[in-house]
Amino acid sequence: MMPLAQQGFTLAWRSLVPLKNSPGQLVGYVLQPVLMIAVFVYLFGGAAAGGDRHLAVLYALPGVLAQSALMATIATGVNLNTDLHNGVFDRFRSLPIVRAAPLLGRVLADLCLLGVSVGIALLAGFAVGFRIGTGPVQLAVAVGLILAIAVSLSWGSALLGLVSKTPASMQVTATAVIMPLTLGSSAFIPVGGMPGWLQWWMKVNPTSHLAGAVRGLLVGRPYDAHLASDILFTLGWAAVMLAVFVPLAGRAYRRRI
Amino acid sequence: MRYAIEAEGLVKRFDDTVALAGVDLVAGAGTVLGLLGPNGAGKTTVVRILATLARPDAGTARVGGHDVVRSPDRVRKLIGLTGQYASVDENLTGHQNLFMIGRLLGMSRPDARDRAGALLARFGLTDAGGRGAKGYSGGMRRRLDLAASLVGDPRIIYLDEPTTGLDPHARAELWDVVRTLAADGVTVLLTTQYMDEADQLADAITVLDRGAVVASGTPDALKAQVGGQRLEIRPARADQRDAAAGIVAEVIGRSPDRRGDLLSVPVHDLGLPPAVFRRLDEAGIPVAELALRRPSLDEVFRVLTGTPRPAADLPVTMERIPA
Repeated sequence: MMPLAQQGFTLAWRSLVPLKNSPGQLVGYVLQPVLMIAVFVYLFGGAAAGGDRHLAVLYALPGVLAQSALMATIATGVNLNTDLHNGVFDRFRSLPIVRAAPLLGRVLADLCLLGVSVGIALLAGFAVGFRIGTGPVQLAVAVGLILAIAVSLSWGSALLGLVSKTPASMQVTATAVIMPLTLGSSAFIPVGGMPGWLQWWMKVNPTSHLAGAVRGLLVGRPYDAHLASDILFTLGWAAVMLAVFVPLAGRAYRRRI
Repeated sequence: MRYAIEAEGLVKRFDDTVALAGVDLVAGAGTVLGLLGPNGAGKTTVVRILATLARPDAGTARVGGHDVVRSPDRVRKLIGLTGQYASVDENLTGHQNLFMIGRLLGMSRPDARDRAGALLARFGLTDAGGRGAKGYSGGMRRRLDLAASLVGDPRIIYLDEPTTGLDPHARAELWDVVRTLAADGVTVLLTTQYMDEADQLADAITVLDRGAVVASGTPDALKAQVGGQRLEIRPARADQRDAAAGIVAEVIGRSPDRRGDLLSVPVHDLGLPPAVFRRLDEAGIPVAELALRRPSLDEVFRVLTGTPRPAADLPVTMERIPA
């Protein structure tokens, strides 16, 4: 195995194995999507979809999937910041390993956790009546898009974690970024009827495109009208965020350690 | 390669404080170098530079012949680092910690497992190996940290204040580990603020104070540098103290310091003390205590770093042992 791969996987293992020792830490990853489904399907969804709960599930669940993934990326920065204050990073740095391996390990581990979160959201969706109206290929593409956005945003989260003083301050900043990104999108509520400036933001917001693409891929009609452009927008956003965040995070990492 | 570690003119600044103001040091291959200094002297900064964790603002350092700034990866292949604050992953078990390092160093899974098991056994942690490191005592944690730095079988090891905060028993155990490493031919750089530790373990000592080297040499040479030996005499009878002091002054050529009923005088010519004993005997002055002793490294340290010496009747070495 290539050294970087072995080191990255080892460090990802290091981050994940404590969860096996104390699974309680996973509660947040499970609870968050379940809660979101409850809120958007039962609390707001019924109203937005004119009382039709099934329609609300079809519309909101792809949004919950996108949002779960986005929220889960906050953990990358928080965990990274926690690690920096921990002597163990000094040990890693004194070892003959690839410089970026701890960073890579962190992102890989969080990707696994994020997968759990998205998987739970999907299961919870099935429980409240969501059905995939298309096929396995579309599901795979949808999951791929969610991961693409999540990975690229993870690097942004990593950057934030590297420049923040404490895990708590990282969490506050990240939440302030993620909230408008997820709630200010068409992930849960259609754009129509919003004030103009909000419509503009909702239309450029990558979460809108991600949720739109996932909705089109999983539900099919009538939500697949803008499918191609949503997929392109999503991939474009992922590429831009990767191109910006990866070098910046790498630089912040070299500075910080 | 004569020296495993060579540093020349190391300078490090943090904002406007100067942590190191031109530090030179060398450690011969297979020797134990004690880097001795009070808190804030710059010991950890030296270690961090030599471990490639920090870059010097000026000066050069070579470890195993490789420049720490230009070829950090080569240096990292040679060294093991045990920090002042044990850098183990608290969320993993002892075994998992060591297994992880083995994997990071490119070992196969079975090799990494075997190595972890062997090191746990060597450091008396076999029973605790399956438990989370979070629950380890300070001594166990320090031993696990040391074990972690030995996974790759490094030929050069940095121990940054390995016994700070340990109880005397755990401290003695760590000393044994250092002695074993030295016996195996590993080069050890040991930082400490305890003189007796450096005295016990180090082949050579570099004394650091406020970012500068104030002395270096073997423990014996350092002691000699500060004042050679002292003759100490305690007359059995208090009324003969003045007479005894007179004889000492006459033979040595300097009146002795008095600490209570103890007469103490530096001697540079070792032919003189026997003459003192003879004269005291001839004068019929019985002696309760007679000693020729070197200054303790504690005293050396205090003289070199300009810290005032403690009141003479305090047991100098005892107070340095941490609670």
